[in-house]
Amino acid sequence: MRTWLAAGIRLPLAALAAALAAYPIFFGNAYSFRVLTLAGIYALLVIGYQFIFGHAGALSLAQGCFFGIGAYVSAILAASFGWSFALTFPLALAAPALLAAVVALPVLRLESHYLALASLGIAQVALLAATNWQSLTGGANGIAGIPGIAAFGHSLAEGAPLMLAIWALVAVAGLLAWQITRGLYGRMFHLMRENATAAAALGIDASAMRFRAFLLSALYAGAAGALYAHTLGVISPGVFEFPVMVACLAMAVIGGSARVSGAILGAVLLVHLPEWFRVFEKSYLIVYGAALLAVIIVAPWGVVGALERGRKRFLPEPQPRAPAQHVTALRAPVPAGADAVLELSSLGIAFGGVVALEGVSFVVRPGELLGLIGPNGSGKTTLVNVVSGFERPNAGRIRFAGRDITQLPPHLRARLGIARSFQSIALVASMSALDNVALGRASLEGTGLVSALAPARTDAHLVRARAHGMALLDALGAAAFAEQPCGALPHGIARRVEIARALALEPRLLILDEPAAGLAEEEAALLAERLRALAAAGLTLLVIEHNMPFLMPLAERMVCLEDGRVIAEGKPEEVRLHPRVLEAYLGRGSSAGVPA
Amino acid sequence: MELLQLILDGLSLGAAYALVALGFVLVLNATGAVNFAAGDLVMAGGFVAVALAQILPVPGLLLLPLVLLLMAALGLLFSLLAYFPLLGRPPTAVFISTIACGVMLQNSANAIFGAEPRKAPALLGEALYRLDGLTIGRQSLAIILVAAFLVAAQYLLFARTQLGRSLRATAQDRDIAEALGVPTRRMIALTFMLAAALAGAAGLLLANRYFVVPTEGGDLVVSAYIAVVIGGWGSLPGAVLGALLIALFQVVVSAYASYTVAAALLYGVLLGVLFLRPKGLFGEAIGRRA
Repeated sequence: MRTWLAAGIRLPLAALAAALAAYPIFFGNAYSFRVLTLAGIYALLVIGYQFIFGHAGALSLAQGCFFGIGAYVSAILAASFGWSFALTFPLALAAPALLAAVVALPVLRLESHYLALASLGIAQVALLAATNWQSLTGGANGIAGIPGIAAFGHSLAEGAPLMLAIWALVAVAGLLAWQITRGLYGRMFHLMRENATAAAALGIDASAMRFRAFLLSALYAGAAGALYAHTLGVISPGVFEFPVMVACLAMAVIGGSARVSGAILGAVLLVHLPEWFRVFEKSYLIVYGAALLAVIIVAPWGVVGALERGRKRFLPEPQPRAPAQHVTALRAPVPAGADAVLELSSLGIAFGGVVALEGVSFVVRPGELLGLIGPNGSGKTTLVNVVSGFERPNAGRIRFAGRDITQLPPHLRARLGIARSFQSIALVASMSALDNVALGRASLEGTGLVSALAPARTDAHLVRARAHGMALLDALGAAAFAEQPCGALPHGIARRVEIARALALEPRLLILDEPAAGLAEEEAALLAERLRALAAAGLTLLVIEHNMPFLMPLAERMVCLEDGRVIAEGKPEEVRLHPRVLEAYLGRGSSAGVPA
Repeated sequence: MELLQLILDGLSLGAAYALVALGFVLVLNATGAVNFAAGDLVMAGGFVAVALAQILPVPGLLLLPLVLLLMAALGLLFSLLAYFPLLGRPPTAVFISTIACGVMLQNSANAIFGAEPRKAPALLGEALYRLDGLTIGRQSLAIILVAAFLVAAQYLLFARTQLGRSLRATAQDRDIAEALGVPTRRMIALTFMLAAALAGAAGLLLANRYFVVPTEGGDLVVSAYIAVVIGGWGSLPGAVLGALLIALFQVVVSAYASYTVAAALLYGVLLGVLFLRPKGLFGEAIGRRA
């Protein structure tokens, strides 16, 4: 009972369902049924909107437009052509999804503001079309005489039957949304909306996920629009106007943006708001605006988020229990016969007029631990970004495991087996260490929309990924922290969790960007030991480091960069005493050697 | 000759759009956030002019300083509600708060003035000059001159004064500006006031020939946005140029086809630009920081 209460969405959902069931029984009349029916339709719209806004974290302002298109498609086909609801309903879903696909192509790979305003642009064009395409849409008067919902010889009577049918559909749609986002796929959304770079470095294609979320949003909005048209019997271009979008956004923000229960609560609350604030008459939207502003300032997690936070104070959330079985595996570093894992030839990159890398060529051999050193600003991190695909070089080629990857985007390089850590730790703070590591398995598990839909009590991908994650945390000596949220981890542990996450990718090459930075001496020594064990197991490593006492005994070979050029390469001791390296670190005329 | 007439009309519309786009970019650069209510501020400026004209029946040009002043005050209030409570939060939060403020502005205007289109006084009267078949409205000319004056004033403020340097420093790198002793919060508040004043001026300029309605903000912010995308995200001259281009496009295409076709085509052009040249036709002024 305790865990049942403390976990997931059930508590607010159950309470709300009970209230919802009780309400019409005691106060039911034709009018209240109608208001609740409307609330159900809005709930459907908002559950859909949460895919793109809540889960993918992109502010789309097209949801109202998709709603309007669903409404118009179903209304026109039913009222003007006499088609049955069984035909018009699927088409009302398909039409906005098609539009979403066309618009998403240029816009979704860009940053959020592009999506927001570009999606508002579609809405404005749709509004103009609905108002001016008289022959099809009836112009400003809209369409009247839309038949009620009827299919296969049965029709839904207005009042209680219609309300119950719509809420049953809301339940199905809500369950579907929950199913899609409950497991590893939902956690992938969490990562990509918080840190798109880290997601790409784990082989997660954020723009493909955003695309799917946008389509799902459009499908739900189309369904809601069609139901709206057939429930009201008349529609006007008003469905395309901004108030619908504002209502949807306000419901999502006020209820809670990534919870099905939040969508339902937001919809029920805000549909009733104009009833409660009748004094404002038509200006109830001022109240919407004020409520939206207040919530975004005071409680950006929404009402359900606030409830969950309150509950957490009394009933600590049960963390995912770490699974017992441990699995680890390393991929064969390179196809047989190749003599380099990574081969850089004459790489060059410049930002504006500043040359960051020029003519950089070296190889990383299978199974070696190569150290990369250089003074601040010498281009080390730029080199990591170029190798992992976050920066495109202006010149030169990169070959990995015998394949030219110069043109590949970061997530595809990760899938080939290039894993990396970040100079500043890039973990999801609110997620447990174990789940953060499990995210590293996403690309190998092939987790996606289709696999997330597989019917099972738990998401099989998440279970397997956690088993792998546990083994890796264990191997890095962080198993005791598996269930703690990453935001609360000590720096040294967080570092190891991040390395474990990179290892979950089963990399052929692991690139670590200053792994010892900020670590105490003993912690650094422990980390060095773990890295040595990984190298002994056959993993190829490229380690960037300032901390010479850490790197010197670890590296088999070293490369030194200065001003974007390779100035020395060879055994650690040779590189340390190389005259150019001394000059770079200590200035001309030094002879003492870089402190080791 | 017909085309020349359209170009003149387009320039006058574009001059007003330029002020809107300029305010949009100023806030964008200073805060990194998109001000969704930029269009609603224009609408507010239009209604302020309408209200002032009822009290003071003088030409619009004399109302302009009052509109600028009142709108600057509204801009300050706006920043206190929509921006400062959200310092340190992701840009999307500010985006949503500006939507909320826009909704409040729009519906307040609706409650006070009603949904009917209202007309503000012309800047210097509505006389028409005829020249070789060309009809030149005194209002069109006045719009172009007033907008040009305001754009030039903004340019001189930013380029030539110490205050302008502080404003630019704040927009370029707030932390460093702060470290150098620039009162960055005050500069940001000032930027909001400036942006609101420019938007309000645009409202006054537009509300004579095109009237003002409470719901016009959405169209205007989308126009400003398209102008800024075309001109290069974050670029001030780009915003002005982009605004002139899209206004010319709208006026010319509306004349030969219809306003709906113009809007749809313009939107198609926007998607094309985003697809082929994501950094705008003239390049992006603020690069993405990795």
